[in-house]
Amino acid sequence: MENSRRNASGRPKASGSDFEAEQENIQELGREVPVGSADYLAPKSLKKALEYRSRYGYKAVVIAGGTDIMVDYFERLSEVSSWLDLTKIQDLKEIKFGPEKIRLGSMVTHRKLATDSRIRENLPLLAESASEVGAWQIQSRGTLGGNIVTSSPAGDALAPLLAYQARFILGSVSGQREVAAEDFFTGPKENVMTQEELLIEVVIPTPREGTLSRWKKVGKRKAMIISSLTMALLLELDDKDEITAARAAYGAVAPRPIRATELEVYLTGRKLTEISAGKAGELAAQEISPITDIRGTVDFRCQVTRDITEQALLGFQQE
Amino acid sequence: MEITFTINNEKRSLEVSPHQRLLDIIRKDLGLTAAKEGCGKGECGACTVLFNGEPVASCLVLAPQADGAEILTVEGLISREGELHPLQQAFLDTGAVQCGFCIPGSIMTGYRLLQDNPEPKREEVRQALAGNICRCTGYQKIVDAVQLAASRMQSGGDSSWAQDL
Amino acid sequence: MGTRFVGKKVNKVDARQKVTGEAKYTEDLVNDFADLLHIRVLRAPHPHAYLREINVEPAREVAGVVEVFTAADFPELTEFGLIIKDQPVLVGIDQKMRYLGDALALVVAETDAAALRGRDRIELEIEELEVVDNPLRSMEQDCIQIHEDHEIEVTHYLDPEMCCDNILSDNYLDKADVKKGFAEADLIVEREYQTQFVEQLPLQVEKGIADYDEESEEIIIWAASQWLHDTQADIAQAMGVTKDKIRIKQPVIGGAFGKKEDISVHIHLALAARELKRPVQLIYNREESMIAQSKRHPQIIRHKTGVSSEGKLTAWQTEMIMDTGAYASSGPAVVRNAMFHCTGPYQAPNVRAACYAVYTNNTYCGAMRGFGATQMAFAYDSQMDVIARELGMDPADFRMRNAYQPGSTTPGGEKLELGVNVRETIAEARRLSSWREGDNNA
Repeated sequence: MENSRRNASGRPKASGSDFEAEQENIQELGREVPVGSADYLAPKSLKKALEYRSRYGYKAVVIAGGTDIMVDYFERLSEVSSWLDLTKIQDLKEIKFGPEKIRLGSMVTHRKLATDSRIRENLPLLAESASEVGAWQIQSRGTLGGNIVTSSPAGDALAPLLAYQARFILGSVSGQREVAAEDFFTGPKENVMTQEELLIEVVIPTPREGTLSRWKKVGKRKAMIISSLTMALLLELDDKDEITAARAAYGAVAPRPIRATELEVYLTGRKLTEISAGKAGELAAQEISPITDIRGTVDFRCQVTRDITEQALLGFQQE
Repeated sequence: MEITFTINNEKRSLEVSPHQRLLDIIRKDLGLTAAKEGCGKGECGACTVLFNGEPVASCLVLAPQADGAEILTVEGLISREGELHPLQQAFLDTGAVQCGFCIPGSIMTGYRLLQDNPEPKREEVRQALAGNICRCTGYQKIVDAVQLAASRMQSGGDSSWAQDL
Repeated sequence: MGTRFVGKKVNKVDARQKVTGEAKYTEDLVNDFADLLHIRVLRAPHPHAYLREINVEPAREVAGVVEVFTAADFPELTEFGLIIKDQPVLVGIDQKMRYLGDALALVVAETDAAALRGRDRIELEIEELEVVDNPLRSMEQDCIQIHEDHEIEVTHYLDPEMCCDNILSDNYLDKADVKKGFAEADLIVEREYQTQFVEQLPLQVEKGIADYDEESEEIIIWAASQWLHDTQADIAQAMGVTKDKIRIKQPVIGGAFGKKEDISVHIHLALAARELKRPVQLIYNREESMIAQSKRHPQIIRHKTGVSSEGKLTAWQTEMIMDTGAYASSGPAVVRNAMFHCTGPYQAPNVRAACYAVYTNNTYCGAMRGFGATQMAFAYDSQMDVIARELGMDPADFRMRNAYQPGSTTPGGEKLELGVNVRETIAEARRLSSWREGDNNA
């Protein structure tokens, strides 16, 4: 779980994004900030981890699966003065299924999410998105918590978490607080966490039976690719096929993962068969605010958002 | 700091620093040079090893994280008598090896796939090996190799490649 | 004909070592050297600029840094290159850097981390010039000249206004009478096609080790090369030594695809090993490999094609402008190869082509699988599709009607006699893809 905030963190921004800022960050952290004699802290308990976090804050770089942070520090590992490794904390790797809520430890790997039969059954958006993170090698190491705390708008788990109305439990030595997924992300690679906190758990209300959902990842390749955009669409239907709740979440189409609320308003209260899939697509495309970057232009992202939304609804209607 | 781990069924203790990656200690400190570095950023799969039974990009694992781990590399697939693993033999027999740089990584992912899925379909092999890039673009024969190994391991014996394909 | 191998399956001789991990690539040899030094190269901070000052003293102060070399340390150095010697080993004071891969200094250190830290402390003063990132800009009258000292005489002008200062190589071909061919045409189609840079991306990036034998004064280099003896000769001439002083021991290569035809680590390694009398290694990372070494040439291809209403080609005219980047590399050969493939496997009785390789400040381009022919293939087969559509003909039928047969002549005038299988290939492609039935004998 790579805890970071752009301004105060000792961690550089995404590799290649801004080399000079990266240099400044590294110098700011530098070797002149000694953290005792321990360069590498790997607590076995959450309590100990939170103590370290409280003591060292951003001076100790938090590492979970390492699939983002090791890329950020490529060839510059020697400039990290201290690591706080969470991989030895067994408590954070647990998944608990309750009648009302599913609780996922922040250190659960993408591979676990992709292959666990109960996750696939109950949280298919999350299981499918996890199965498309990088490839097997990345899924083996990368964690749900890391994906969340890295807070890249292209993080594959984020749109599903918004669609499931997930809540994040943040812990520190002074206690815990709960933040809704929607309020957690504040910008590209920015979130509400402080340097005292660690993400402990993700809590998701167990979806009702008869919930329909669609996950879609669009990228330049089928594997090992950062998403150009993602969509997690979820509908709850009553026994008359009327949509009682709709949640449409998108990633990599705005500075943070977003929900298309106009689209949700349009869908809610209507019968599935009466929905105009074309109109739904248009609404989605209007609500996003993408940028042009190496993974796609504004036009591309708007058109594809429209098309995949339309196709998802046509798919629901045919089922 | 000293860490202890098992690599290719051998217990090892090693003085490592958090400035090293798992790939560095495997290649330099242990001298096991089969796993290769193609990008250093987890994109290419050339450094794939099994780490606690799962394929990982060893360039993205911090060396101290290997404490207590069980690691398997291509060097560990060869029997004590020097006999190739059926998967290695299949890579030879199907002509899947070209420049060879991706092969140790591809074999490790393929090996792990066959543990879960002893009779993988073509599409399943492609999916599993999606993180192992072959720039000689020998993918067809790499998929052939995994399927050939699967069928040989299923039948329990080794037969000529031509009959199996 | 021998019967031992022909028609039989034969394992590659080195395949066993590659599946066991025993095969030794360059980077696998580093453990064989006890006191290997590490080199990092400082590259150009700007794609087109004069180097006015360089201060390497801060780098020397970094713990672990053994030596820092610049062009000033090697006044005897000359430029290198596969066909034309136009690439500097190190950019000197008041010389130009022409792309982001140009080397300005070599930092040699006991560890890689120290070499990196040293490299980042070098201070530079540069005078920035216009960055030419487009070959069409290169050919404008008011464009800055990228290589002042490389004059070439251009004899075939696309356009009398064209500026030739940045043209590396111009090429021209004429087959029969293209004017007559266009006069006979019922339809003339003109289109422009563009292709992009392509990175060869061998899985193994450029890496090397060098050592120096003080007794024999030989420099031994372990590094990949696709032209072992050309590389040896080029290193020797650039350093001003005889070829017998350069020995290249070729380890197993992890892919090349044209990218390793050019010199990369070799001369830098040789200089450092000789000066320090210690073994040294230079290992690029992926970004460095992408920035510093060759690409496939982007081409702007304009085809004008005449065709009869029955679907027979009567005339084919091609203009092509190729971005060769900052240095020549294989450019002069690639541009010619592309030109001679301008009609692809299709018989055109009258052909004219004018093709240019043009310098820019982009990463230089060189060899890659197909060597110029692939870019043309995209353009001529797109052109064939466009013509077929305008004629209302099936594109496979149209190709079949114009495909080479024994006795056809190429744009270069070569008469094809044996092994002409284009029609069989089209028929088979049609069968495999279940393309709608057509007249395979058209």
